[in-house]
Order: sequence, then C-alpha cells, then structure tokens
Amino acid sequence: MTRFQRFPTAPARLVLAWRAAALVAAALIVGGLLALSGRDVFVLGELVLRSTVGSRFGLEDLALFMTPLVLTGAAVTVTSRIGLWNIGGEGQFYLGAIGAAGVGLYMPGPQIVVLPLMALAAIACGMAWIVVPTLARAYAGVSEIITTLLLNFVAGLLTYWLATGPWRDRVTGALASSGRISDAIPELWGVVHWGFPLSLAIAAGLAAIMTWTSWGYEVRVSGANPGAARYAGMPMRGRVIAVMLLSGALAALAGMFEVAGTVHRLQGGMADNFGYLGIVVAVLARRSCLAVIPAALLMALILDAGIVLQTQQLAATAVLAITGLVLLLIAIGDELAHYRPVAPASSTRSGAAA
Amino acid sequence: MEMPSAAPGTPPVLQLVGICKYFPGVIANEDVNLDVRPGEILALLGENGAGKSTLMNVVTGIYQPDAGEMILDGYGAEFASPQEAIRAGVGMVHQHFKLVPAFTVAENIHLGWSETPRNASPAVLEARTRALSEQFGFPVNPSARVEDLSAGEQQRVEILRVLARRARLLILDEPTAVLTPAEARDLFSALRAFRAGGNAVIIISHKLDEVMEISDRVTILRGGRNVGTWETRECSPRMLAATMVGREIVPQDMRARSEGAAPRGVAPELSLRGVSVRDERGVETLSDVTLDVFGGEILGIAGVAGNGQRELTEVLTGLLSPERGEVLLGGQTAPPGADAFARSGVGHIPQDRLHSALAPPLGTTDNMALREYRAPPIGGSGLFRADAALALAREIVGLAEVRIPDFGAPVRNLSGGNQQRLVARREMRIASRVLVAAYPSRGLDIGAIATMHRYFAELRDKGVAIVLVSEDLEELLNLSDRIGVMFHGRLMATLDAEDADIERIGLLMGGRDVGEDVASGGGVA
Repeated sequence: MTRFQRFPTAPARLVLAWRAAALVAAALIVGGLLALSGRDVFVLGELVLRSTVGSRFGLEDLALFMTPLVLTGAAVTVTSRIGLWNIGGEGQFYLGAIGAAGVGLYMPGPQIVVLPLMALAAIACGMAWIVVPTLARAYAGVSEIITTLLLNFVAGLLTYWLATGPWRDRVTGALASSGRISDAIPELWGVVHWGFPLSLAIAAGLAAIMTWTSWGYEVRVSGANPGAARYAGMPMRGRVIAVMLLSGALAALAGMFEVAGTVHRLQGGMADNFGYLGIVVAVLARRSCLAVIPAALLMALILDAGIVLQTQQLAATAVLAITGLVLLLIAIGDELAHYRPVAPASSTRSGAAA
Repeated sequence: MEMPSAAPGTPPVLQLVGICKYFPGVIANEDVNLDVRPGEILALLGENGAGKSTLMNVVTGIYQPDAGEMILDGYGAEFASPQEAIRAGVGMVHQHFKLVPAFTVAENIHLGWSETPRNASPAVLEARTRALSEQFGFPVNPSARVEDLSAGEQQRVEILRVLARRARLLILDEPTAVLTPAEARDLFSALRAFRAGGNAVIIISHKLDEVMEISDRVTILRGGRNVGTWETRECSPRMLAATMVGREIVPQDMRARSEGAAPRGVAPELSLRGVSVRDERGVETLSDVTLDVFGGEILGIAGVAGNGQRELTEVLTGLLSPERGEVLLGGQTAPPGADAFARSGVGHIPQDRLHSALAPPLGTTDNMALREYRAPPIGGSGLFRADAALALAREIVGLAEVRIPDFGAPVRNLSGGNQQRLVARREMRIASRVLVAAYPSRGLDIGAIATMHRYFAELRDKGVAIVLVSEDLEELLNLSDRIGVMFHGRLMATLDAEDADIERIGLLMGGRDVGEDVASGGGVA
C-alpha cells in the first residue's frame, strides 16, 4: 500500500508542480465565482490574458510592474538570509524616490552624470532610513520588524509633505506631485526602461554573491544559527549591519527607478505598496535571490490582472481577495510539496536501520 | 521489595504486539513486542537509532504504527494524537521539554487541559498547582516562570503536568541527562512512590548504572527490533552493554599509548594564568584559574555542571576573553577571537552541538566548511567554492563513518550520534595543537562513546593537547593523564590520574579542599 509521508525537505520540482496546480486551482475558483455572479468568464479571461501577456502593451506593463518588485523582493530576501525581516521596504522606497527626485529637480547637468548621482543619492537616503533600525538591532537587539515598519509611515508622510510643500509642481499644479524631472532612464523597449534588465541583473548578482562568496556563506550560517557563527568566530554584527544597509539600498533603488524611469516626478503615495509586496515576493521566492525574479513576475501578473478586472467594474477589494486566494493556495501547495509517497513493505526492508 | 504484585490475571497496563514503523529507507521498528505491568518500572535500552524514541512516539500517538497492535488494560487502543494518549492515561516527558518558557509553572500545568477552570486567574491556577504538587509529591513553585527554572525543576513541571492528567503510564526519555546527581536521586525516589501506587513507568536511558538502580525489568532494542526482556536483578551492566550493541564491550584503559606515540610535550601548548571571568550580572563565573595543557596528554576537567566549565572552555577556545589574567598559546599571548584560536590549531567540541557547533537548517556541506571556509581550497579572494566544500565534507564524512545520502539535506535530520561524530572529525582536522571537548559523550550510546574515546586517544598519540570536560568520572579516569576539578568557578586542584580516586575527586567537586575534615559525610559524586 502506498502511503504519503511528510519529509523535512521539499524538492524544487515538487514545489513548482504544486504551485502550478495552486495557480490553476485559484483560476478555477475565481472563474467559478465570477460565473456565479453572472459574468462571462471567458470574455473576462480573454481580456485579462490579452492585456497582460497577450499584447505588447500588456508585456510592457508587466515589465514596469516587475522592476520595483524584483528590487523590493530582493531587499526582503537578503535580510531573510541572515534571519531578519526588513518590513520597511516601503519607507526606503520613498526615501530612494526623494533622494533621486532631489538630485533630478535641483542639480542640472548632463544626463550621464545626473542619473548615476540620482542612484547614489537614492541609495544613500535608503541606507540612512534603515540605519537606526540597523544599529538598534546590531547593538541593542531591538526587533527590526517593528522599527522598520514604523518608519514607513514617517517616510510616506515626508513624501507627501515634499510633494505638496517645498517641491510641489508650480508649473502644471498637479496634485501631490513635484515638478517633472527631465532626466529619465533611457527607454529600451516601448515604455520599458533600462531599469528592468538592471533589476534582473542585480537579483542574479545577489544570488551569485550569496552562493559563491565567503561573505554569502557567513550570512547563510549567521542566519541559520547565530550560535554557530559566534562559535566559528564570524563577525556577526558586521554582517547584520551590511545586510540591512544593502536591503535599504535595494528598496531605495526601486524608488529611484520608479522616479527616473516611470513616474518622472515625486508623488505622494507613489510607492503603491511595492515595499510591502516585496515581502510577499520574498516569501514566494523562499529565500532565493534568483527565485525573486519569477516570484516578482507572478506578483506583477496578479497586479496587472487586478487592474484589468477593476476596469470591468470588479471592486478593488475583490482583486485583493483574489491575491489572497492565490497566496493561500500557493502556501498550501508548498506544504504539500513536503509529502512524498513511500512504499513501506517492499523496498525499505532491505535497508538497514539507522 | 516494596513493589505491590498485581493480582493474578491483571492485564498489563500496556502491551505492544508486533509493532512496525517504517521511514523511507529505514526500519525504525519491526515486530516489537513489549509489555508493562502495573507497579513496575521498565527500562528501555538501546543504542542511538535503535528505535526507542520512535516506539515511544508510537505509544503516545505522535506516530501511528504501520502494523501491529497496542493493547491498553486488555483492550485494543489507537491514538491519533498525544492528547488522546494522555486521556487514556499514557503520558510522556520528552528529553527536550515542551514547556512555554515565558509562562509560569501554574500556567504550563493548566495549558491545553480540559479540567482547567474557566476562571483561570493566576491565584486559582497557582492554588490548584500547589495542591497537585503536594498530592503527587513533586515540589514546584507555581508562580515561577519556567525560563527561570533549572533543568531539574523544569522536568518536575513536565512530570507534574503529565501526572495531573491522571497518567497511569509515565514514559521518560533520558530523564537524567540534564540533572545533577542530587536531582536524579530525587527523581528516582518520586518514581518509586509513583510505582508504589500501582502505576507503571517506562524509562529510556543510556546509563547502565541507572537502569540497574531504578528498573524492575529491562527491554533491549537493537536495529529497531526487540532483542529481549529480562528481570533487572538477573542482569549485569556488562551483559546489558553487550546485548545492546550486539558484541562484547571491553572497557579499556585508554591511557596506554600506542607504539610510536608522540611523547608528552615539555612546554605547554595552552596555558591560563590567573584567569577570571564575570557574567553580565557581574557574578564571577571563573575565578583565578591557572593551568597548563601539554601536547600528547589528556587533561580531564571534573565537576558538577554549572561550576564554570562552560566559561573555561570558552576562554580556552577564544570565544570569551578573560576579564583578568592571561591566555598563552604555545608560550605567546594568544591572539583574540575564536577564529584566531581555530587558525592557531585549537579545535572545539562544544557542549551543545546543535546550538553552537552546527547550523541545523543547513546541509552537511555547509556545516563541514565552518572551520575551513576562509582559506583555500574553499575560500581565498573572497570566494566560497562549493565543489571544494563538498569534497571536504565527503572526506570528513568518510572519516566519521557516517552515511549521508544527501549532502544538501539539513543536518538537524541526522541522529545525535552522527552529528557528534561529524563535529568531532571536523574539529580534529584543525586541532593541530589543542582540542577542547566539553561533554563529548553526552546523549551518545556506548558504541558512539567508544568511538569518541578512540578519536581522542588517536589525537593524543599524535602529540595534540586535549582538554576533556566531563561529569562522568569513569570516563575521565579512563582517558585522562591529569584531572582538574572545578567548583564555583575555581580550579580546586589538578591531580595525576594515576593516584586520583573517585572518593577524593568527589570531595573536591563538593568544594572541599584536601586535608579538610573528610569524615563528615560523603562527597558529591
């Protein structure tokens, strides 16, 4: 008789298979519910497909959504490698946007100089935003989850204040928005700018650093067991500080890409939950920097499909519910991937007991 | 014997018939028969991985058997969960306690219990706990937080928790592993009282002396199968050990050098000069310790756990820098930091391997690289070469004679014995000068302990200095050339093992200096 048993590890291909099944199940449930509420599921489905992967416009949109999600997802993933959670991606995103906009608005110069300066300013601001939680964590053991989270609200309000106050648009009078920034990241394909391939390269580079450097090894061990890191004489505190600052820089870079690549202004509310969705991306990616890319793609697809559905008079809350359903089913799929069939009687008896 | 003999025809409290439990690639239990009668203490004996814990997990409903029957008081029983088992009167106290550290004793006792009153105010719960504590004869402080209790006190809470739920069969997994000798004595007298009430106890243990002292009958498991059951009074420790491992264990004097062994060094490899350490509360945990360890010798450190041994090993391995005094490595002031010590050839087998020597969620490859990732072939120019790390892991695993099917699978899935072998081999590789081993045989079975001792003798014969911290005096006397005794952070004395006897070490462990009044009562041993 075949029995299923829970194993402590889940092989990647099983995780993938179960996740695919989870997505199909989610699509069926959502489709069933939409049909019950009297909508034409096939028309809606076709519309969603056409406006995401089925058209050039849709693909461009996906890439634009993915760019910040890859970076904020990577920001959370790197901290999770050392056993910490940076919940402040949203705030660091805003600070990155503020830093970039400040340079873009008030430092004229050739684009080749201004764009790198915007990136550097963004990174510096993002790091500055996480430095207090970092030091509190490293030296006083203060939970970084609380401190990074609370700073999000401060950053959001700071952005509103700048965009409605000192930096407000005095030309067109756009609401809660700074003036237009003339320096933009060059476009690569339609509206998709160079930030997209750059963010993918950053995720791949981080994956390489985590796997192939002794620094990455130390981060891995420190995250898995701080006691073992101390025992081996690893500089734990230094690694915690470095990883958290790196995380802040990544989220801030997402803000800079958004300002200089997509929005071209500093706007109140422009982070649009990208920081928080980065947490979801990181959870989906299961601590792998490389897996952040497909996880961000899935998240971008859900966001994009949600917008399409909203244009069809579906409530925004319904879209949120769909997102939750997808994540729930994926979590169930991840758990199921731990189970594998075992045949007790035949093959196992020959093996010696451990 | 004060044991009440059950009336003839009284069925066993628990009877197992042909229990089988399989895990992928492993027979955990096969065709195990066992019975426990009212009013007896049954010892369950076996090596690491013999299937004792799995069998007890089947009995308490954590696992379901793949085949076989469980009969409780003459009726067939099946437990889908530990809650069902405890409702039927079968309760287990695990080796690693399952208490909520931040809760009080009273809260832990009442957690998840159908009889917990609706008015669960601290006063009510504490009063009930006090009553239970008196009823069962397990003194506890109901309002204390569990995290502030010693291991022995936590264990009393665990046992009381099970007894309060009217358990008639109490299962204890290596209950004395974490206890001081005095606490162990208290536990045994409480168990005897429990037995006198017509209840039954199954006790899992590695310590043969204990089994001889406390149990009425012994059941031995080997390779997942039941080897047999004997009346304890018909057994000898020697016979039990041989049956357990399936061969005769010859206790050997490991102090004998092999041919061509390196002689004892003339200059000390590692020295402490007046070293003192304070903990964060300002209490002096190590006071003015001076010692020398020479190459080619084993220095044993005896003492009741918690008398400064942890601090001593941490100072000796560079994890802790002393507040006062000096640490000398090969006659020179030692460089600061655990990493520098390791690079100078100091290996360290710490007392809690899962907490500090290994990263449990990571694979064997990552764990075996812990000491050598900085230098080529694995490290160098900031890189981590996974292929070289895997090669190193294969080499260590080969020397340790451990079977690892998947080098990427978390090491927490390995048995305690295998983890310890891997750590020991990893540390022996880097220990070109000194190996500091703290309680290396804790939780290991006799076979694994013998392997560990062989490792140490091998290393000593190569000329390495070994510091062996242990609470097992027999182990210390078998291996050590000299024995230092710790008490309240002080090194009471260092004796030559030749003329040291257990009696004298026992007195020193109890804080009595030689020459003091010896006649007034036995020492702590």
